[in-house]
Amino acid sequence: MTVRHVTRQALHVLSFVATMAVVVGLLKVLNWAPGTLEPGLMARYTSIDSAVSTLGIRKVYVPAYFPETLSWPPAVVLAQSKPYQAVVMEFTRARDGQTVLVISQAASTLFEPDAAIRCRTISEKVPLDLRGRKATLEAGVREDRSACSRVEWDEGEIRIVLTMKAPPVQLIRIAESMLH
Amino acid sequence: MDLTNLLIAYPGIYVVQAFLHSMSAAIIAQRAILAWNIRSPVVRQKFYLIAVFAPVVSYPLYQWLNPDRGSVNFRLGALFDSGRWINVELWNVLPVALLFVLVLAAATAVFLFQELIPILRHRSGPTDPASRTEPAARGSPAALAAEGLADPAPDIQIVEDDDPAIHSVIGRSPAIYLTTGLVRSLQPVELRVAIAHEVAHMRRSRRPLLIVAYVVRVLLFFSAGTLVAFRKAAAEEENICDDWAVEATGRPDALAAVLEKLRHSDAYEIEGHEAGEGLSSIEHMSYDLMVRERIRRLADGESTTATTGDWLKFAVTLASIVILNYYIV
Repeated sequence: MTVRHVTRQALHVLSFVATMAVVVGLLKVLNWAPGTLEPGLMARYTSIDSAVSTLGIRKVYVPAYFPETLSWPPAVVLAQSKPYQAVVMEFTRARDGQTVLVISQAASTLFEPDAAIRCRTISEKVPLDLRGRKATLEAGVREDRSACSRVEWDEGEIRIVLTMKAPPVQLIRIAESMLH
Repeated sequence: MDLTNLLIAYPGIYVVQAFLHSMSAAIIAQRAILAWNIRSPVVRQKFYLIAVFAPVVSYPLYQWLNPDRGSVNFRLGALFDSGRWINVELWNVLPVALLFVLVLAAATAVFLFQELIPILRHRSGPTDPASRTEPAARGSPAALAAEGLADPAPDIQIVEDDDPAIHSVIGRSPAIYLTTGLVRSLQPVELRVAIAHEVAHMRRSRRPLLIVAYVVRVLLFFSAGTLVAFRKAAAEEENICDDWAVEATGRPDALAAVLEKLRHSDAYEIEGHEAGEGLSSIEHMSYDLMVRERIRRLADGESTTATTGDWLKFAVTLASIVILNYYIV
């Protein structure tokens, strides 16, 4: 293997890396552009107030009851006003900063909320009366066999979904406190 | 259900992501061939086939690997989120979703009128049923030219027509069709290398990889990236058959002469059409460009049937495409 051959191979590698860098850069620009053309697309916000004032969202359902083990304010706030209104809040455990509660509210049933908490198997799925609303409650276990639960209902045109790394009892209390 | 909702439902997401993944794969494959300086048409074709095969399975495969790939958080961290564009209305009147559907419709029309229908016509045999066709007689120039190129000898059919043309059909009755005009216009060695090229097509048409590639092409009929990648792979197929013909006959100059003669003939055939018969000038120009490139390759001695030594480059390119497309949602 000659020096010339090695140099040529190195140039080929560099050329390929440069190609990939250009493609990645182009994709990033193309991903950034819609945000400037159409304000209101999904983005991260520092607080619920910031999302509400920026996007002009009329109502965000926030729980009045909040277990002491959880940190307030939400660690993550994602929101959009276009093509439909949607807000996602992630709450962490004070002890270790792990995401333990996700609340999403969206004016579309096609909205896929954040999947920070995912139940691996659902052992129970029952209808639930939540202060006069028809809700659905699911209870199951996560990948690590820890308990998880999920409750969802419609508040007018808004679909509200709560997912928590805990048995249903605490989740129901939180959900009910959102309807004060 | 409006257009935007249609595109963010499961079948819509599949279409959108297959489209985007094929586009990125086609661009990367093309650029990688240049960056790695790949010369072998067999290897180049494999690069283009990545862009044909990968998008058909990429979306379900990625979702299986990571069910959270469609979630808000993943999309926010992605390299490119199609959902952001699909929801945009240009100047508040023109939805990007509508433009996207128009692009899909255009790619579908190109597939139907330039690929599917001509291929179905081509497979059914000679394009002009009025032409008298008969097998090449023993000892005739065509039969002599074909001797020793394949075992068993290919079925050579002579079509009574003054225009020089040659093509092969595959299927239950594979055969090579030559016009009397072609037999008259070519030297014996030119006739032999032209038949050798068609024999190569017939041999390669039995390869499962190419058959599966065409099935995938049909499945992704709406995808512009697949369209481009498949056509590039098809162009490499011509180079591969050229190289096989050169290896079988040892005469690249003769094959270049045949291509040049066919290029300047009135019956310059393009996928079942003839020049001037409803064929757009752009299509004619691109085909002419491809033939001239083949002639240049033959003249420059680039003909090669070697396929070894490029597997690492292929693997790196494939991995790059797979990883990049994972972050295109």
